[in-house]
Amino acid sequence: MSKKITFTSIADLPPLVVSMGTTEVNATGSWRYLRPVYHDKTAPCIEGCPASEDIEQYMYWAARGDFDKAWEVLVEENPFPAVCGRVCYHPCESSCNRDHFDQSLGINSIERFIGDHGLEFSLDRFKVAEEREQKIAVAGAGPAGLAAAYHLRRLGYQVTVYEKEEKPGGILQYGIPRYRLPKHILEAEIMRLERFGVEIKTGVQVGKDIPWNEFLQHDAVFLAVGVHKSRKLNVPGEDLDGVIAGLDFLSRINSGEDVSLGKNVAVIGGGNTAMDAVRTALRLGSTPAIYYRRTRAEMPAILDEIEEAEREGIPMEFLVTPVELIGENGALKAMKLQRMELGEPDESGRRRPVPVEGSEYVVEVDNVITAIGEQGDFTSIPEKLIEWGVVKSDAFGQTEQRPVFAGGDIIEQPHTVVHAIGSGKKAAMAIHAYLNGGDIATLADKIHVGNKGGVSFLRFRDGHEGDPVDNHEVVTFENINTSYFTRKDRHQVPELDVKTRITNFEEVKGTIDREAAMDEALRCFNCGVCNMCDNCLVFCPDVAIKRRDDRFRYEIDYAYCKGCGICVVECPRSALSLVPEGK
Amino acid sequence: MNHVDIQPRIPEPELMYSGHLACPGCGASLAMRYALKALGNNTMVIIPACCWSIIAGPFPYSALGVPIYHTAFETAAAVASGMKAALDQQGKSDVTVMAWAGDGGTYDIGFQALSGAAERNEDFLYVCYDNEAYMNTGIQRSSSTPFGAWTTTTPENHRKERPKKDIVGILAAHRIPYLATVSVAYPEDFIRKFQKARSIRGMKFIQILSPCPPGWKTADDQSIHISRLAVESRIFPLLEIEHGEKYTLNLEPEGISVRDYLEAQGRFRKLSEQDVAYIQNEVDRKWEMLKRQVS
Repeated sequence: MSKKITFTSIADLPPLVVSMGTTEVNATGSWRYLRPVYHDKTAPCIEGCPASEDIEQYMYWAARGDFDKAWEVLVEENPFPAVCGRVCYHPCESSCNRDHFDQSLGINSIERFIGDHGLEFSLDRFKVAEEREQKIAVAGAGPAGLAAAYHLRRLGYQVTVYEKEEKPGGILQYGIPRYRLPKHILEAEIMRLERFGVEIKTGVQVGKDIPWNEFLQHDAVFLAVGVHKSRKLNVPGEDLDGVIAGLDFLSRINSGEDVSLGKNVAVIGGGNTAMDAVRTALRLGSTPAIYYRRTRAEMPAILDEIEEAEREGIPMEFLVTPVELIGENGALKAMKLQRMELGEPDESGRRRPVPVEGSEYVVEVDNVITAIGEQGDFTSIPEKLIEWGVVKSDAFGQTEQRPVFAGGDIIEQPHTVVHAIGSGKKAAMAIHAYLNGGDIATLADKIHVGNKGGVSFLRFRDGHEGDPVDNHEVVTFENINTSYFTRKDRHQVPELDVKTRITNFEEVKGTIDREAAMDEALRCFNCGVCNMCDNCLVFCPDVAIKRRDDRFRYEIDYAYCKGCGICVVECPRSALSLVPEGK
Repeated sequence: MNHVDIQPRIPEPELMYSGHLACPGCGASLAMRYALKALGNNTMVIIPACCWSIIAGPFPYSALGVPIYHTAFETAAAVASGMKAALDQQGKSDVTVMAWAGDGGTYDIGFQALSGAAERNEDFLYVCYDNEAYMNTGIQRSSSTPFGAWTTTTPENHRKERPKKDIVGILAAHRIPYLATVSVAYPEDFIRKFQKARSIRGMKFIQILSPCPPGWKTADDQSIHISRLAVESRIFPLLEIEHGEKYTLNLEPEGISVRDYLEAQGRFRKLSEQDVAYIQNEVDRKWEMLKRQVS
């Protein structure tokens, strides 16, 4: 700051009227009644992701071509990027602000590229605590169980996962077909966990091979056994030869069994199991069709999967339900269907299908695959933990019995891979708090990102000190200054042509290349987080914004900032806020 | 997040100091900041009566890291001519001389000196930061004030019916080596043109559309936004003209409605639908004319 110049006599004055100091003597900050502050917020994609991946941050690194760093940011929250990059229903993309501008960011395809990039990477860098003595047991090596095991291992616990099947992975191993998730991808991401010290014991069912009481001897246990009992149609003829439960069908195919189907295969249902079953049947050489009791709009399957099934030429019959399966000598021959119409909305908000009297008709079928939903098989779990067909738990997976925690499809939450992964992470945090005599609920405010229940492991472990972040303020499209973005369509994901793909189990969708991943990541608005675009620095009329000494981000010189607010308005991504002075 | 390599978008050295006396959100102060970043410290600035007479600070302080010569309203171009001649005599021809005047000192009061210097092809850069009225003295109309704009001397019941004077056309007619328009919303373009002007011998003229929150009746934080709307609506085309003949359009915006620009400012509050249609029509017509001159 320039010094104030005082003349005490005429003799002090210069011979000419010349300047002798700078205007820095004027602390024009006193004019200010609004104060701009750097204030990171939460991007809607992060709030939209049930696993709370820090999408904005890995886009930042991906756009700069640093995919090692992008992978690290991603795996901080989710140990399965290559898996999720293939099978996730990507609610992040439907939350993306860019959707209101041109098209939402291709987050899932970038995630997949990053996942594949780091497929051989070790998890060792994620260890955050010294080894601890406490032993934790996990029942079920599906996405929830493995995610919990990963985060617990990071915190130093000794974790053993018990899996009743022959191989770990749960729904990823036995449910999702190879053309969506090749086995080597899944196995690479699971093996990485094992190398990280997560012990996985397969062929061991908790409650049967290990008695419940013995299981409870661990310092904490996490239940994530999933739901795999296909719901019954409850119509006559369901026991006929040729009627197959959807999940059993997928599991047998995924185990490498030869399943022989007839020509006409009817798949009943509109969810992901139905889509997987129908597309699998097609690849086995049958002529399958979907029969669903509501319309396409109400189908619970991922839209991508419905579209792919349609592209593969699979007929879909809507507003029908089977009322009888007709056999001949114990073998299925035909199916009697009844037409439905949509009535009043039910508890799911979808319009309830109502049968139309006298509309029955018969179609010839060789097989019926049922895929109208799954339910839990809780015979091995103590009854007092169950309520309304799910394991009763709070938002962090804490059941009423210590030290039992639960997650995945057996608790009340949507049955998706990413919800399962999120629930595993939350339970790991809750277990850690419990074992250290704390209560995870007291940390909720610090670790939540957005307002939809997601939690950040990064903030859990280090509190994310340093730059101020508002976890709960989610950036909306109105907060974005779109003048700084140009319209550009998202990258298309490469895929096999229909003719080739339906003859085999080759992966249908491909991974975008490095250049496309960088290019697509550059489309990211980076909502709410400073990415050092320099706009604030460039547009300050008062030279009051400077690069920080470490040249990372900026600082405002409040001695001079007049509070015009240009930096706030011109920030493309709402990483600054204007707050009233004196508050 | 780790350290990343920073590629500054504009030159980093600052030759303007904080603590200057411009109003919050002043376009003219931002313009000076960019101009000096482009020209560097081997520059002398001549400022006739205008907002910048005040912004630069009272004796014995200065807001700039280069010499400023404050002069009378009508004399910027004459003083710049003289200063350049004196520097040449001293063998200091590498010094860039920049006259920095408002629209009052350019379009009206300093006009004859400017026209004379342009005709003589004096070797200096004349910059008009055009805020479209005598803002410093209390928002009186100038010949740069656009049609329909409120000022204290064109109140709403006695508004300005004449169009803004075409200063670019006038200077082009002097066939000076370099003429350009710049906007504070396009800093890279702004700085490039000042650097180009610095490299050219002879008379250079740059017009800056300079938003004035108190005079245009806008919020302090809207200056960049409004500057951008002026360009996007084609009211203020970003162009370069060499020797009065070679026209270059630096940006060809899709062309948003002039309404977006007008409605963002309180000074145009009383415009009728017909007025807006008339302005749109004029803007479209001039744009077509400009396109013909470019090709």
